[in-house]
Amino acid sequence: MNRRDFFKIVGATGAAAATAGCQGAGEHILPLVVPNEQLVPGVASWFATVCRECPAGCGVLARNRDGRVVKLEGNPDHPVNAGALCIRGQAALQGLYHPDRFAGPLVRAGGGLTPATWENAQKLVVERLAALRGAGKGRAVALVTQLEQGSLGVLADRWTQALGARPHVTLEPFAYEAIRAASRITFGRDAIPYYALEEAQVVVSFGADFVETWLSTVGYTRAFARMHAFRDGRAGTFIHVEPRQSLTASNADEWVRNAPGTEGMVALAVLRLMLEEGLGDRRFADAVARVDVKQVAERSGVAEATLRHLARAFGHARPGLAIGGGVAVSGTNATETQVAINLLNAAAGNVGRTVRFGPDSAYGRVTPYAEVAQLVQAMQRGEIEVLLLGQGVNPVHALPAGLGFAEAARRVGLVVSLATQPDETTALAHVILPDTHWLEAWGDYAPREGVTGLLQPTMSPVRDARPLGDVLLAVGRAVLGSEEGKGPLPWASFEQYLKAAWEPVVRGQWAAALRQGGVWRDVAPAAVQATAGPLAAGAAALEGDAGGFALLAYPSLRFYDGRGASRAWLQEAPDTMTQAVWDAWVEVPAEAAARLGVATGDVVRVSSPHGALELPAYVSATLHPQAVAIPLGHRYAPYHVPRYVAAAPTAMSPAALLGPATDAASGGAAWLGVRVTLARTGARRPLAILQATHDQDHRELAQHVDLRAAREQALRGRAGRHETISMYADQVYPGYHWGLAIDVDACVGCQACVVACQAENNVAVTGKASAAYGRQLHWIRIERWAEGPAAHPTNTFLPMLCQHCEVAPCEPVCPVFAAYRTEEGLNGQVYNRCVGTRYCGNNCPYHVRRFNWFQYEFPAPLEVQLNPDVTVRQLGIMEKCTMCIQRIIAGKDHARDAKRTVRDGDILTACQQTCPTRAITFGNLTDDTSAVTGLRHSPRAYTVLEELGTRPGVTYLKKVVREHA
Amino acid sequence: MGAKAGVGALGVVLLAVLIFVAVSSWSRQPAVARPSVQPIDFPHVVHVQTYKIDCQYCHSDARRSEYAGLPSVERCMGCHKITGAQLPEIKKLAEYFARKEPIPWVRVNKLPEFTYFPHKAHVRASVKCQTCHGEVEKMTTFAAAPGPRLANDLLNLAGFRPAPPPLTMGWCVDCHREQNAREDKKAPLDCVACHH
Repeated sequence: MNRRDFFKIVGATGAAAATAGCQGAGEHILPLVVPNEQLVPGVASWFATVCRECPAGCGVLARNRDGRVVKLEGNPDHPVNAGALCIRGQAALQGLYHPDRFAGPLVRAGGGLTPATWENAQKLVVERLAALRGAGKGRAVALVTQLEQGSLGVLADRWTQALGARPHVTLEPFAYEAIRAASRITFGRDAIPYYALEEAQVVVSFGADFVETWLSTVGYTRAFARMHAFRDGRAGTFIHVEPRQSLTASNADEWVRNAPGTEGMVALAVLRLMLEEGLGDRRFADAVARVDVKQVAERSGVAEATLRHLARAFGHARPGLAIGGGVAVSGTNATETQVAINLLNAAAGNVGRTVRFGPDSAYGRVTPYAEVAQLVQAMQRGEIEVLLLGQGVNPVHALPAGLGFAEAARRVGLVVSLATQPDETTALAHVILPDTHWLEAWGDYAPREGVTGLLQPTMSPVRDARPLGDVLLAVGRAVLGSEEGKGPLPWASFEQYLKAAWEPVVRGQWAAALRQGGVWRDVAPAAVQATAGPLAAGAAALEGDAGGFALLAYPSLRFYDGRGASRAWLQEAPDTMTQAVWDAWVEVPAEAAARLGVATGDVVRVSSPHGALELPAYVSATLHPQAVAIPLGHRYAPYHVPRYVAAAPTAMSPAALLGPATDAASGGAAWLGVRVTLARTGARRPLAILQATHDQDHRELAQHVDLRAAREQALRGRAGRHETISMYADQVYPGYHWGLAIDVDACVGCQACVVACQAENNVAVTGKASAAYGRQLHWIRIERWAEGPAAHPTNTFLPMLCQHCEVAPCEPVCPVFAAYRTEEGLNGQVYNRCVGTRYCGNNCPYHVRRFNWFQYEFPAPLEVQLNPDVTVRQLGIMEKCTMCIQRIIAGKDHARDAKRTVRDGDILTACQQTCPTRAITFGNLTDDTSAVTGLRHSPRAYTVLEELGTRPGVTYLKKVVREHA
Repeated sequence: MGAKAGVGALGVVLLAVLIFVAVSSWSRQPAVARPSVQPIDFPHVVHVQTYKIDCQYCHSDARRSEYAGLPSVERCMGCHKITGAQLPEIKKLAEYFARKEPIPWVRVNKLPEFTYFPHKAHVRASVKCQTCHGEVEKMTTFAAAPGPRLANDLLNLAGFRPAPPPLTMGWCVDCHREQNAREDKKAPLDCVACHH
């Protein structure tokens, strides 16, 4: 070929390509026919509503962009959560856009469920109900919903009354009935009080897992941070008693490991020692006269010296607070345990101060477990012919298998489910009438006395769904043969009913109440008198092999009772303590594991008298040697398999191992009620554990400082860090210099930031196999670093994200300048330029860059949730934390509209916004008055891997450790 | 000799493929509407020149949002219920409105993908619409032809028509630089301001 041929070919190909390129198909832009005056395309609107992922009832603001909700944030005005949101609240969007959501009503025909019209499906229910009513068998109808402490609950009660059905049952697997019963016994009041953690100096918790699930996670975690985090030289003390080192236990200054089920006797021994030392109300001395401290020490495994130390710490606190919850207050002796805790509070004079009756929790209104059990028995006897189950109710999965719900449900003539997506219970249903998601619905919810949040639709329904209230009204009227506007159920819709119910409260100020997210008032604490008879301390009675292990079945931070498990974001967010994603595991104490010859990832058969599970082991050095622990709630949604996990195991939740045991005094379900035996199966199911080691190996990533030293430094006020010396000129920041400060002392490791970031920044889900390879895409992660003896380590949680280094190792190695330093102190990552060499990721000492190894999909309709302000990255692109650049741009835009510069607090990053403990602060480092600058010059400030000279823009504040023991 | 020719031919084929890919990816720029494809023959010139209607009267989101927005069908009908109601093109409009159907306008201006472009910031900075969209007020049919296309390039080379704003990154950045040099303006030049 000669030169001339070459040019001929080149020219011809080029021209052909150019012509081909011109034939783009015409793209249409459609205007609105009639515009909505309140919505501007491209500008977000916010709607206030209430999170219904658990009964805590936090206020939520939903960000609606062009008619679809893309992000949830806490409502800053709401008294429960004050702007923060937990991991489950952040992931609620994945329930809204869940790929498995029912597209419309379904009716069982033959073996399977087939689509039906609303009219036909409702007619089936109406006919059955009308026949029963005609035959005078109204009591054969049962309605079961999740806790509805508001108008929907009232309507459900009206409905059951109008139809002569059994009383409406609210089903919450974790209802803290022992706390209610103990309040009744000690204080003569059937309620769950408000615990003012924020005002206590010393908190002693007997298993109360408030960082994970206890009562109101966000509210109490916030309160805990206010009590415990180091501020102006002050910091409270937190002591936690639990057989397992849970996440809450890890946040304690002192974690006391006791034998399972012995919390009650520990509390009584502490009370006795406290009174012996003259540190409490002597009136309670009689109650603990029979308590033998030595015997308690022996049985609980808590040394006498520790008990005495607890008694002194608690007795000297002004005020203190003792709380009970979790596995400790769900055994067969749960009420006794909680009574002992109540007496501790009463003797120390905390009642009315940190223990407040009056603003009582909604949990106190849950239908007692005994009545649920009665319903199940009636079902078993064939007395129930129509069973209606609301959304969020999955008794087959969430209740102890020993109750026999699944068996009983098969004897019910017509099971009607109002669930939004398939689960173990809908598998038994004959008719499915899908309810709307709470983000699409009207409603109200009162999480505690004095606080009532309002729910409003934040967007139009994603699927053909109808709200439960509307279905009840329509079905009720059809059964009664009454018309709209007449009879006991006259309202046209639930919306109308709600507005009518609220009119006397808001008196025309409906719109204002909606905008605020509800109405709230202060409730004065009610005066209560504590009484106590003599108490004997007993351990929880456990069914099963006496030589076995006590089974600690604990509610999971990520899935609660299983309600969150269908969200892929939650499955992929690591459990902070084990750092495991996706699969479930059984935590096996190290001694037992050695005896059995199992290592982490070996499948173990866990057998109880009521069932067996096969789960991979997680060998734990911290767990009590006579216990094994399995988180409740693990299950997969249909779309997870095989997309994210290879095969679905039949069962993963320990509810399958539990019997019908209850706590006799309260009637509550005993989650601590069985002993199990372990057997090696020989199979392996390796867990996807995202952090290979918890040993810092002297790298001082997570640093700490003594409380005394921290106080001294705070007084002297000298900056803890100084800029490293460089031979090069310092970078000049002509405008802003964005920086973050992260208070390691405040971080509790709750993972809310991880999911908030995922929602905000379109971070894809990779699945178990990819995550096991370290290919997960989270832009922020919570590292757990353990120090001290393996059996009793001190854990520090270190949120790790792009450090936005001034001298960034990622930048010089990029061959295409995709990684570069901006004028505002960010490490920019230009996706358009990135060619995927991964050099930057390899050169990053913080390991925070994430690579798209595959084209990750967002199964429909999850793609609707994607934030339109953030690029969706594709195969071969490197990505990482941008410090929410889209929020920075929006913040600057708002400031320019107001003809000013950005003020401190104008811009919140997604992780900062959702943090219950306010551990993360974002701001402008060139502004000397900004909060972040103040923290950067704090005596506790340090930067991670400072010796590398990377000059990070992220400052950390050392954890403050108390000088105990 | 034969083997050598074979290798040469293979090389030529590979080279041709490479060039085809390179050029086609360059020329596959925003789709451009041709004059006849709009569902209603809308003359900007009449609205802007004759009736002196401000751009933002119809494209009212430009000052509020990332998108300039198109007027709703209702807004068009606001005037055209009476004005020119008997004209055939207006009758088409009235039919869309009667059917409660959006008018399927064909997109003319389109920035390359993965670019964040807020109209709002540009309106606030007093950038005239014509700076990017060309002399819309003179257009009978809106068909600004942005993007480097072979046909445009040839016409421009021959001097047949003025170069339309190409809406390419280099063109954006040039303007931002000019603004920053001339006045007390702070047009961002950060990559991540538009690519994030």
